[in-house]
Amino acid sequence: MNNFKLFKRQTVNELSTFYSFLIGFIIAIIIGSIILLIQDKNPIDTFSLMLRLSVGSVNSLSSSLNKAIPLILAGLGISIINSVKLWNIGAEGQIFLGAIAVNFIYINTQFNNPSFHILVLLLAGFVGGSVCILIPAITKVVFGVNEIITTLLTNYIVFGVTIFLINGPWKDPKSLNFPAAAYVGEEVFLPTVIGKLSFGFLICILFTFVAHYLKNKSVFGFEMRIAGGSAMTAIYAGINAKQKAFIAMLIGGGFAGLAGAIELLSQTHRVSTGISQGFGYTAIIVAAITGMRPLGIFLVGSLFGALSIGGSVIQTIGVSTYIADIIQASTLFGALIIQFFFTYQIKRVEND
Amino acid sequence: MKKYILEAKNISKSFGNVKALEDVNFYLQKGKIHGLLGENGAGKSSLMNILSGIYQPEKGSIYINDIKQKSLDPESASELGIGMVHQEFRLIESFSIQDNLTLSKANIYQDNFKEAYDKYSEIFSLSVNPEKKIVQLSVGEKQKIEIMKLIFKNSNIMLLDEPTAVLTPQETDQLRISLERLSDEDEKTIVLISHKLREIRDFTEKVFVMKNGKMVAEDLSTVDVTDDDLVELMMGSMQKSIIDKSNKTGDTKLSVESIEYIDRVSNYKILEDISLEIKAGEILGIAGVSGNGQVELANIISGVEIDYSGKIFINNKDVSRKGVKSRKKLNLSYIPENRLGVGLAPGVSVLDNSIVRDYFKTRLGPHLSRSKTETYLESLIKKFSIKAPDSKAEISTLSGGNMQKLLMGRELVSNPEVIIASQPTRGLDVNAVEAIHTLLVDQRDKGSAILLISEDLDELFKLSNRLHVMYEGKIVKSFDIDNADINNVGLAMAGVIE
Repeated sequence: MNNFKLFKRQTVNELSTFYSFLIGFIIAIIIGSIILLIQDKNPIDTFSLMLRLSVGSVNSLSSSLNKAIPLILAGLGISIINSVKLWNIGAEGQIFLGAIAVNFIYINTQFNNPSFHILVLLLAGFVGGSVCILIPAITKVVFGVNEIITTLLTNYIVFGVTIFLINGPWKDPKSLNFPAAAYVGEEVFLPTVIGKLSFGFLICILFTFVAHYLKNKSVFGFEMRIAGGSAMTAIYAGINAKQKAFIAMLIGGGFAGLAGAIELLSQTHRVSTGISQGFGYTAIIVAAITGMRPLGIFLVGSLFGALSIGGSVIQTIGVSTYIADIIQASTLFGALIIQFFFTYQIKRVEND
Repeated sequence: MKKYILEAKNISKSFGNVKALEDVNFYLQKGKIHGLLGENGAGKSSLMNILSGIYQPEKGSIYINDIKQKSLDPESASELGIGMVHQEFRLIESFSIQDNLTLSKANIYQDNFKEAYDKYSEIFSLSVNPEKKIVQLSVGEKQKIEIMKLIFKNSNIMLLDEPTAVLTPQETDQLRISLERLSDEDEKTIVLISHKLREIRDFTEKVFVMKNGKMVAEDLSTVDVTDDDLVELMMGSMQKSIIDKSNKTGDTKLSVESIEYIDRVSNYKILEDISLEIKAGEILGIAGVSGNGQVELANIISGVEIDYSGKIFINNKDVSRKGVKSRKKLNLSYIPENRLGVGLAPGVSVLDNSIVRDYFKTRLGPHLSRSKTETYLESLIKKFSIKAPDSKAEISTLSGGNMQKLLMGRELVSNPEVIIASQPTRGLDVNAVEAIHTLLVDQRDKGSAILLISEDLDELFKLSNRLHVMYEGKIVKSFDIDNADINNVGLAMAGVIE
């Protein structure tokens, strides 16, 4: 009788995450094609249309990248928190609270210099995201409550707060009864760089390098890795594991909050339920596919931004936008499965 | 009548490139106690795991009652009456004694549990209510329940893997009597694995000796063989490395004054009035059965645990209220008992693990230089001959010996003034043990003050200048190594102080 057993590979190819993403993406395209074929649509036509409308011109490319900003920033936040082996499922709520914080500061302060004003508002967004994860962070560090549950639950709370604000105190009388807060003034709109590309994308590039440095090149990153590897080793090394976890959570939440601020200042221009269309959840997929690598998150986030733009335009030829979601989710599945084969090898063990 | 109840012929087994067993023969006579002697890593446990069906041999055959067994898996081995007690307990802690004993579907005392329990409690001199939960039992009691479990599932061949490792000398004596009665009265066939000569001599009728995966002596009569013969078989041409103890000692490097430590959860006094002093160039051994406060003492001296009363001085500097980092700055090194999990962080790369001690020395503000850490690791690998092919690979891809060398290297490379080494050689093969002993002695000669905590008396006698014995959180006895007698130390470990 033959048995098959798993062995962990001694060395793992550095680019394995990239390869598994590529293979996962190909698998996802195949799955998407099959679904399209079942619906009597030509996959090649559909995908080439998606490609053309998402990256075919400066305008479409810039809307794709704009879409990628919240995915990348929230994904970076998730990856920082994951350095201490914690999961942030609350990026969605952090995005909303970031936007709420921006509006709150906007309403309550007055600045003459618009650039400085925008800077303050972006900072407010970051702080808003940190505040959103504050309770999960405290309960995690003090009582050891599972952060997956608490960050997830804060999403619902923040969403409830948003609904309350836009139907109540912040409701815009001019919105024809549509639940939304009033628009912010044009002086605080984020400028565009090329075409429709928001200045937020440059912030995004900057923060990608910040996250990369923090995770991979800094002492703090090293301390987070040790704390995440073993709390006992951290204590032994004189590293305050709880403090690292707490700080990592606040920074990670802040990244997502910043995403909310940029979304408000460059896209929606007001607080509404449209601040995020599940960006915080898609960001988890983005971060997981890349094995929590900031540079990878930047690339995959950009691709996923293009996918959702492509997905939304193919409605015009009668294809559901869900095809983009299917591709995103299948990419994760495919990539995780392929990653497994990079990490382990299967050997046949002979009995008798 | 059949000659052997169990016969294993030409068993071979390898793990990766390591040959764990090579053409091993092993046979047992019904109703006798057999000893299986060998150093750590000689292949004793592998052989037992094959007999109990956990590993499959690559070559060889196993006969039970003269019937060839095609392939043994744990279930069929258990049906054939082969039972094993592993080194780590496999009891369900939250279940009662009765539940643990009757858990197996092979249980033969379903209806008359009480009767059987009383009978075997008497044999094992165990006086515990079977309703009691395993959690509440002492280590010695748990060991008895483990062995009883085999009886309850009708195992007639009982393989005991170092059952005495966790026992005090007195409990060991007790176990000997119990096992003798089992072999006499119940005709149980017993295999006792050990690397302690005295036990093999006291417990067994027949003895097998293994070395480096080979059976170097089969079926010797214990009464006919001398200790010297056994040692030579077990160690090969043994050169008992005599370590020169006449080295110069210097000033007091570490001094510990009346440490008291109470566990906040259980409110139990773990350490009581511990005082000790170590001079430069001196190794102070701490002997004791584990669980008598050694881990806590090491944690307190190294600064990991700070909720205690008492004083600690390194180089005459009071560090009692200082944390890990400032003690490290005074050049204290700690090699913790728990290699992977405390000393090294699992799931983290070899590179990261190599700088755990000194990273705060080499940092540039918030920046951690990759090239500097790489050079640092390379120097460790060279200096301590560590086999670590991929610095980015997870630490657990290294072998136990290489992990320990990395840990020791990391802690010793900066010539520490004070070293706390807790069970530094546990679970390592002979070569690795020798290498680590050499490291410690070299360090001693360079003027370090070393606190060596170990359960291995041979190691303590070999390395230490002085010995303290810990029992129930106290230093109950102190010896100069020249006047120390292994029996007295053993007695003190069991709490017998005349």
